[in-house]
Amino acid sequence: MAEAVIGPVSGNSLWYQVRAFLNAKLVHIFAGGLFTLLAIFLIYPIAAILIKSFWGDEGFTFDFYVEFFSYNFYYWSLINTLILGTSVMLMLVIVGFCFAYLTTRGPQWLRKPLKIIALLPLAAPPYIFAISLITLLGRNGFINNFFDLDLNIYSWAGVITAQCLAFLPLSFMMIENVLNSFNPSLEETASDMGASEVRIVRSITIPLAAPGLLKAALLVFVMTIAEFGNPAILGGRIPFLAPDTYLMITGEGDFNMASVLSVVLITPCILIFFLHNYVLKGKGYATITGKGMAAEPKPMALAIKIPFLIISVPVATMVLLSFGVILIGSFVKIVGVDNTFVVDHVMNTQSNIAIWNSVKVSLGAGGVGAIVGTLLAYVIMRGKFRGRQIMEMTALSGFALPGTVIGVGYIIAFNRPPFLLTGTIWIIILNCVFRFLAVGVEAGISKLHQISIEIEEASADLGADFITIFFKVVLPIMFSAFVAGFIYTFMTTMMSLSSVIFLTTPGFDLASVYIYLTAQLGELGLASATTIKMIAIVAISFGLLQFVAKKTGLDVRTKQGA
Amino acid sequence: METQKTPMLELIDIYKSFGDVEVLKGISAKIAKGELLTFVGPSGCGKTTLLRIVGGFAALDSGQVILDGEDIGKLPPNMRDTKMVFQSYALFPHMTVAKNIGFGLKLQKWPKKKIEERVGELLSLVHMDELGDRTIDRISGGQQQRVALARALAIEPKVLLLDEPLSNLDANLRVVMREEIRNIQERIGITTIFVTHDQYEAMSISDRLLVLHNGIIQQIGTPVDIYEQPANEFIAGFVGYVNFLEGKVTAIADETRTVTVFTAYGNLELNHSQFDKSEKGDEVLLVIRPETIPLSRSDGPTQQNTFNGIIESFMYAGNFVKYTIKIEDKEMIVDQYNPKDTVKFERGDQVKITVPRSTHVLPKNTAIEHV
Repeated sequence: MAEAVIGPVSGNSLWYQVRAFLNAKLVHIFAGGLFTLLAIFLIYPIAAILIKSFWGDEGFTFDFYVEFFSYNFYYWSLINTLILGTSVMLMLVIVGFCFAYLTTRGPQWLRKPLKIIALLPLAAPPYIFAISLITLLGRNGFINNFFDLDLNIYSWAGVITAQCLAFLPLSFMMIENVLNSFNPSLEETASDMGASEVRIVRSITIPLAAPGLLKAALLVFVMTIAEFGNPAILGGRIPFLAPDTYLMITGEGDFNMASVLSVVLITPCILIFFLHNYVLKGKGYATITGKGMAAEPKPMALAIKIPFLIISVPVATMVLLSFGVILIGSFVKIVGVDNTFVVDHVMNTQSNIAIWNSVKVSLGAGGVGAIVGTLLAYVIMRGKFRGRQIMEMTALSGFALPGTVIGVGYIIAFNRPPFLLTGTIWIIILNCVFRFLAVGVEAGISKLHQISIEIEEASADLGADFITIFFKVVLPIMFSAFVAGFIYTFMTTMMSLSSVIFLTTPGFDLASVYIYLTAQLGELGLASATTIKMIAIVAISFGLLQFVAKKTGLDVRTKQGA
Repeated sequence: METQKTPMLELIDIYKSFGDVEVLKGISAKIAKGELLTFVGPSGCGKTTLLRIVGGFAALDSGQVILDGEDIGKLPPNMRDTKMVFQSYALFPHMTVAKNIGFGLKLQKWPKKKIEERVGELLSLVHMDELGDRTIDRISGGQQQRVALARALAIEPKVLLLDEPLSNLDANLRVVMREEIRNIQERIGITTIFVTHDQYEAMSISDRLLVLHNGIIQQIGTPVDIYEQPANEFIAGFVGYVNFLEGKVTAIADETRTVTVFTAYGNLELNHSQFDKSEKGDEVLLVIRPETIPLSRSDGPTQQNTFNGIIESFMYAGNFVKYTIKIEDKEMIVDQYNPKDTVKFERGDQVKITVPRSTHVLPKNTAIEHV
C-alpha cells in the first residue's frame, strides 16, 4: 500500500519549476544514471570478454574454444581449477563445521579465542598464506631447514593449504550463522529423549544445518576458483585458470585466449551466483518457534570433542603461525636463516609508495562506491519502475565475478575511445567500485528495511516535498550504511589483487601488486613487511566498521574479496 | 453530534481497488468539527486504506474528499491540511524529540524563536517538558507516541489522523494513552479520525464509530447506537457477545404496542417500537445481550417471556459470572454481575431467565454476506 504521492510545490518562478520537475523525476533521474553506470562498468566489460572470445581477426569464430579444448595445457587448467575448488570446498565445510560447532556448543573458554582465530584471516589478503607458507616450508623455509626436511610447498598441497586458510572465515561465518539460527531446544529435546551427542550431531544438527552447509560450500567453491594470488604464487607449473588468464595477457598478449579462459572461469561462478541467490534463497529450516534460549553450556562428549579438536587445533595453529611468521619476517633479515633485527623491509621506500598508492585508490573507491551503493539501494528499494530486479541483480553480481575476469574485461573494454581509461588511476578505482558494490548496496538495503516507509510518508505529511525528504531525512538516516559501504570498499580495495594487477602500470604499484611481485622474486621480507602494513590499515578500518555497526545497529555482512 | 452543520470533512462516494480487489465500495460520511470519529472493522476491511486516502497516501479511484469546503482528493500529502500519526510513529531517528516536533514548522519557515516556543507548548501539552533534547531511541514507547502526536499537532492541522496509534503499546499503557489522546483531542477541539481494529478501544474513545466490513460502511453511530441498536447481524456480533434467536412475527397488536414473535423457546412478546416496518409473517433475528437477561432461581411455572433452564457450565471472571444455560435444547449465555451477596449458581441448578420486552430485533434478511 505504499503509494506515496509526493507532489509539486506551488509557484511559477523558474526555480519552482525546476524543483517541481526534480520532485517528480528525481528517482527516475537517479535510476537512469545508475543504470548507465552499471551498464558501462559492469555489463559492458563482461560483454566485451564474451565478444572477444568469439571474435578473431576474420570475424566470428569458434576457433578459440576449439583451441581451448584441444590443448592439454588449457583444458587441464580448467580441470585443475575444478579439482582445487572441490577439494578446498569439501575440506572447508568440515573444518568450518568443526570450528562453528566448537564456538557455539563447545567449552566456554574456547569459544571466543577460537572465533577470533577463525575470523583473523579477514584482516589480511588471501595471499598472506602463500607468503607465510613459503617462509615456513619454501626451499629455504624455516621448518624445512630446522627439521632438515625437503617438503615442496610449490605444489597442490601448498595451494590447497593456503586456500583453506584464506577462506576459513567465509566458511566459518556462514556455518556459525546456521548453527546459531536454530533453536537449541531441538538438540536438547533429542538429548532428553536419550540420544547421545554423536547421535544428535548426526541426526539433528547436520540435517538441520544442511541447506546452510550447502550454501557455504558453494560460496567457498566460487571464491576458491576465482582466487588469483595463492595459485599464482604457489602453483608452480600446475596450470589454474585465474593465473593462466593473467599469463595469457602479460606473457603472450593473447586477448582472445584470455577471454576464453575468462568465460570458462566465469561460467560456474555465475551459475552458482544464481543458484545461491534465487534457488537457495530462503531455503533452510525455519526453526525459530517458541522462545529461543541460549544453550546452556554442557560438557561435550569426548567422541565429538576429540575429533573436532584434532581438526580445528592444527588449522588454528597454522593461522596464528602464519600471522606470526609475517610479523617476524617483517623485522628480521631472513626468517630462520639470518635472524638479525632490521627495519629495512618496513622502511623500504618502494613498499611505502605502494601502500600510499593503495590508500589513495582505496579512498577514492570507498567514496565513489559508497555514493553509488547508497543511491542504488534507495532506487532499488523505493523506486517504482520496471527492471528494479535486474538492476539489483546486476549490482550484486560484481561480487560473484572473479577478479581476473573483471580485470581482463576492463582492459579490453576501456583501452580505446569512447571509454579510454587504461593507464589512469580511475580505471583501478572504478574497477574496485563496481566489483565491491554489493556490500554498499546491501548495507543500504538493510538500512532501508529498518526504516519504515512511514517515515518518508510522515515527512510528506508534515509538508516536505521529495527533495527535502531525500536530503533531510533519507540521506541522514542512511548515513551509517554509507559509512559502512565506504569502509568496506576501502578495505577490500586495499587487499584486492586479482583484477587490479591487470590495470596498474609500471611505476604505479599498488601494495597488493607489490606484495605479489616481491613474493614471486623471493623477497619475503619486503612482501611480509608490506603485508603487515596493509593488515594494520585494514585492521583499523575493520575496527571502525565494527564501531559503526555497533553504534547504529547496522547489519554489516562481511564478505571477502580476493 | 450536530452533523447538520457544515461538516469539517466529508467523504463522498469513495471507491478504491488494489488490482482486482475492490477495497472500498462507495464510502460516504460526514465528520463534524471537533468530532472524534473512529474507523473500525476487522483486518482487511479497508479502514487503513480509507484513512490513507484522507491523508493523501493512497490515490482514490473515484469519489471526493472535501476538507472545509475544498476538494483535496487529488492533492499530495504535503499540500493537505491533515496530519497523520503513523502506526510505527515514524519518528526521525536522527533528530531529537524537539527537532521532530519542530520539523513541520521548520518547513513552513517559521522563525527559530517561534519554533522553540511552539515546541515548548507542545511538549507540555503531551507532558514531556524536560525531554526535548533526548534522542528518539532514548525515550519509551509511550513517550514516542506522545512525540508523534505532538509533531502532528504542531502545525495545527484541520484534521488529525491516527492510524492504529496504540497497537505498539502494552495493554496497560494502551488504556492510559487512549485516555490521554482523548483528553488532548477534546481540550484543543481538533477534528480527528482514529483507526483501530479493537472494538472496545473504538467504543471508549469515540464520539461516533464508522464500522467497515468488506469495503462497505455497515453502520455509523454513537457507541450506544452501535451496541444497543446494531444495524445488522455483523455489527451485533462485532461488539461484545450476543445471543441470536431466530423468530417469526405471528401477531401485531397496535393498541398494546406489542408484537408477538414465535421462537424456538415459544412465543415472545416484544415492544412494537423495535419493529419499524415488520409485518406479520416476517422472519426476524433477536439480538439478546448476555448482561441484559435477569436470572433467578426457578420457582414453578413460567410467565410471559420467561423460560426455565438448567445451568450447564459457568466461568467465574471476578467482576461477573458467565453462565451457559440450557433451555429446551438451545444454549444461552447470561452474564451476571457481582454485587455483594448475589446468589451464585452451580452446575445443574434450575434457573429461569427473562427476555426483556425491549430486546433489539433485526429483520432476518439483513444478514450480511460473510467472507
